[in-house]
Amino acid sequence: MPFISRTERQTDYNLIPPSCPIVIDNGASYFRIGWAGESEPRIVFRNIVQRPRHKITGETVTIVGDHDPALLKYFDCTRSGPRSAFDNDVVFQFEIMEYILDFAFDRLGADEAPINHPILITECACNPVHSRSKMAELLFETYGVPSIAFGVDAAFSYKYNQKLGICDRDGLAICSGFTTSHVIPFINGEPVYEACCRTNVGGYHVTDYLKQLLSLKYPHHMQRLTWEKVEDLKMEHCYITLDYASEVRLFQKGAKEAEEKTRCWQLPWTPTPVEEPPSEEELARKAALKERQGQRLREMAEAKRSSKINELENELKGLEFLIQQLRQVNGNDIPSFLAETGYVSKQEIESAIVKVTQSLRKAKGEQEEVEEKPEISNSEKYTLIDIPDNMLTPDQVKEKKRQLFLKTTSEGRQKAKQKRFEEELERERRNKEDEQRRLENPELYMEQLRVKYKELSEKVEQRKRQKTNGNGNENNNVSGGVGRGERLNAAQKERMRLLTTAAFDRGKGEDTFGIKDEDWQLYKKMSKDNDDEDEGPNEDETELARVSSKLREIDPTFFPKPDASSSGTEPPRFRPLTKEDFQILIGVERFRCPEILFNPNLIGIEQAGLDEMVGVSIQRLQSRSQRLEEGNGLTNSILITGGSCLYPGMSERLEAGIRMIRPCGTAIRVLRASDAVLDAWIGAASFASTMHFQRQVFNKNDYYEKGEDWLRRYQLKYTF
Amino acid sequence: MEQEVMESEMILPTHLSFKKIQMQDKYPKGQARGRHWKHLKQIIQAENYQNYPPYQPNYVNIESPPSMHPRKQICDITGFEAPYSDPRTHLRYANTEVFKLIRSLPNEYVQRYLALRNAAVVLK
Repeated sequence: MPFISRTERQTDYNLIPPSCPIVIDNGASYFRIGWAGESEPRIVFRNIVQRPRHKITGETVTIVGDHDPALLKYFDCTRSGPRSAFDNDVVFQFEIMEYILDFAFDRLGADEAPINHPILITECACNPVHSRSKMAELLFETYGVPSIAFGVDAAFSYKYNQKLGICDRDGLAICSGFTTSHVIPFINGEPVYEACCRTNVGGYHVTDYLKQLLSLKYPHHMQRLTWEKVEDLKMEHCYITLDYASEVRLFQKGAKEAEEKTRCWQLPWTPTPVEEPPSEEELARKAALKERQGQRLREMAEAKRSSKINELENELKGLEFLIQQLRQVNGNDIPSFLAETGYVSKQEIESAIVKVTQSLRKAKGEQEEVEEKPEISNSEKYTLIDIPDNMLTPDQVKEKKRQLFLKTTSEGRQKAKQKRFEEELERERRNKEDEQRRLENPELYMEQLRVKYKELSEKVEQRKRQKTNGNGNENNNVSGGVGRGERLNAAQKERMRLLTTAAFDRGKGEDTFGIKDEDWQLYKKMSKDNDDEDEGPNEDETELARVSSKLREIDPTFFPKPDASSSGTEPPRFRPLTKEDFQILIGVERFRCPEILFNPNLIGIEQAGLDEMVGVSIQRLQSRSQRLEEGNGLTNSILITGGSCLYPGMSERLEAGIRMIRPCGTAIRVLRASDAVLDAWIGAASFASTMHFQRQVFNKNDYYEKGEDWLRRYQLKYTF
Repeated sequence: MEQEVMESEMILPTHLSFKKIQMQDKYPKGQARGRHWKHLKQIIQAENYQNYPPYQPNYVNIESPPSMHPRKQICDITGFEAPYSDPRTHLRYANTEVFKLIRSLPNEYVQRYLALRNAAVVLK
């Protein structure tokens, strides 16, 4: 882990003399601050600010840098992610910058206004003057610093490594940072910005690419792939290949080396507990419980029934008694007698008796013997059917219609009954035959059944496929309709055809629609209800069901095929999760992601990659000075620095790439910086400790008097 | 505030003794103050680089030109070399297996894969 935050508060701020400059490496990913002349920055933290709301008190707080993520549980971070003051290496949000500087000076131990030390702060090459002046303004006005100097991080890094003897006075610095990569040529130890070049690709893009690829590959583990975790993965596993094409071919072939190169990240996983089948006792206990409950229900039902029977019997008795009394009462007194009982006539009482007896019988569970007294001879029942209409009164005509209706329905019922009976017979006969065959030769019988099942299931499936796929197009019958399906089935197609012809034919020539009655059938065909199953389950399907049920009975190894629609490409839905489901494999991604530094077009950035940038830079140098030999020697000292240069294989790949674009025989030497991440700060710190630095700072008066144009041209001299 | 939060000192104090102007004086609370910063694009536009001679380096003209190398076409899903491109989804793919996969991908995923190389359809 090359990146480690350090944020302990320093205590020696007041011991340091005011002449000692504060050195800040304001990188897009990390902020480093410390004292000139020291070998390490005092404070290092991620250059981000979060402004979440405290969950309990509700106040918005400011959190700078990265902190223990466990402590963030007290804050509501949903509406405020980490924010950076940078856009492509240029500081543009100075409110965020102010929070960051606040935090940095606070941790450095500052406790009284103003900050009475000169400041050396880094910026990107050719920083827009707006950003530079805002930064100067912030430092002068808010913190009251006496003087400021701006420098470029890559230049400090190169100068430091030159001092260490790693690189020469003339050379190139390749600095691949968080959001951008720079190539800066150095001549006589000074950076030549006229010939430098910048591609907007850096470590951020690599991490983002890796994060996107992994979360697309493993959508179930998306929440595990946090930015920090993916950055760790990147730093641990990513490497740069000498030749992308040949490396990827290894993986495509599934070679052994590829397997060895694949890394696996096992996510925490606990096997789901296997459900133990309930024990005998448990089962018995459950059955007993169920039985008891059933018993109680039955008793309740029985009690209810007997009480109802009792009630009905009482009522019946009462009614019978009434009738008897009624018989004894003489004719004239009947109305007055009835008025007392609440009935209107004797008939009513009788009908009530009939009703009660019927319900009594029902309650007692006896068969109602009435129902259809079969055939009271049709002629007797349907008296009016055969008489022509014109011989009947209107009432009789109505009656006739009713009788006709009754007759047809009863006949229909009769027929259905007959059919059912016959089917039953047929099935029994077949079952008996089957049984006989089975007993004769069980093996053969089973084999036959299996074959039959296979045939039938194929047939049914084919029918289904045809229905869903129209008149089967041949190329995709394997996977059963290649995803994103847009084909209509036959019925839907026909409907669409009808609709379109109807829409287009109107208004053309004379309109004859509606003259014939059949024309109106069209609407029936068009209507939507038509296109579902035209006929119910056809006989193949019923036969299939029969055979499969039979097979299930006699063949323990038989499993009915899952429904055609649910099979196909997608795997069975419910499957116990295994260890493998919680693994994240990183194979091709290991070198595919850093590859974007050399081929930014892989992520849609149409700019030259690192190796080509060297060529571009040298070309610019030559066109500036009009001398072809200038810059030829630069490739002898190419320094790679910056966090994104740490990938293994970087220098080999760069050397190969530069060799391809430079003339044959050019000396090429790619040199690794002594500390690619911290060099810029260390270089700046050693620069700030020299007398040379004191002459190059500017103070508040310079800033306000000399104007913007001067600030634009302000440039640090690195050699002394 | 919780004890452990206070102990970690992760929260930036609102008043810092070393500042000449405090944050809350600069940006008083409860006052709507629109956007007070410029996007990088606006910054660059305001720099008026076209008024300066082209040999003077500036933020825009030091950018790298488009690559002159032949473009590498890789499979969007697997990263293999991709000789084919699907006319329907516009994804590049390496072989028939990947083709089957991309045809079964939901549109959202197709767009996300395309967005990786900045080729997604963006509706505005």
